Amino acid sequence: MNIAVIYLLLLKATVTSFAGMGSLPQIRQDFVDSYHLVSADALSEAVLVGRATPGPMGAYVVAVGYMAAGWPGAVAGWLALVTPAFAALPLLATVQRWLHLPRVRALVDAVVVAGAALLVPAGVGLALEAVDQLRRLM
Amino acid sequence: MTPSVRQLAWIVARDVNRTVGGGMASMELLRRSFEARRWVDAQTHGLFVAVSRLTPGTNILAYCAAVGWRLRGWRGTLAALAAASVPASLVISGLAATLVRLDRYPAVRVALSAGMFIAAALVLSSAWNLLKPYARAGRARFALMISAAAGVLYALDLTPVRILLICAVVGALMPERRSVATGRRGDTRETART
Repeated sequence: MNIAVIYLLLLKATVTSFAGMGSLPQIRQDFVDSYHLVSADALSEAVLVGRATPGPMGAYVVAVGYMAAGWPGAVAGWLALVTPAFAALPLLATVQRWLHLPRVRALVDAVVVAGAALLVPAGVGLALEAVDQLRRLM
Repeated sequence: MTPSVRQLAWIVARDVNRTVGGGMASMELLRRSFEARRWVDAQTHGLFVAVSRLTPGTNILAYCAAVGWRLRGWRGTLAALAAASVPASLVISGLAATLVRLDRYPAVRVALSAGMFIAAALVLSSAWNLLKPYARAGRARFALMISAAAGVLYALDLTPVRILLICAVVGALMPERRSVATGRRGDTRETART
């Protein structure tokens, strides 16, 4: 798979999440279910490696990129990790102008809560896959 | 006081890459370092935190981008982002490379399966850590309704992006009393109208 496509798929996930692990449901859908770029096991390993390493929580996307396409994929993952952060610059300029509006704050809260809720099926899915893998090994 | 780009990069790399507790833990370490050096005051830190919560992606990286911009412009932004993300990314890539070579051995597969349980627990704890402040701020009902809406949409097999967009609209239409993401109270007149 083209590295640019991997970058764009990872960027789609990171730019539509509002927390480090919030990108997991979208990554799971694109990389495991839709395009079969990584196996469910490999995605679990990427999450584990990312979460076991000190640093930003969302950095597991680097491991996802590596699992999908080796070192170039890891670079694509790193770029997808840092790209959304640049949105903070225009936000910094405008946030004081709009943040006093209750509707805007409620909208942000709703995105954070929904992102957290979507992590639940992702976590349960990981646990079920672990059980399945252990069964196969036994 | 304004730090040099090198000083800024060192503090960010040191504080962000030594925490495993998530972005808020890193932000707290950075706040202490910045305030001790008088680079950033408490009010500006609060603004950076709010911006980081509003920015898509990883919160701590948005925080670092905002701090870097305020302190040293574009060079500060690039240096802070690199300092926050490159060390962890190198370690993660190295670990992933090692894992790929080793996972053909049965013992390693068993260990990885056990590790997947840990990963599942970590993912679920991330969800709880994001939701917990809403219960504390007396917005449990709001969180429950948005979570339920997200659950229903997920069951309907909608994509995560669509689920987030729909929930954002639902959230914006719901009565609002106090924001957790920004820590600010809503306008009372607006609240009364809603």
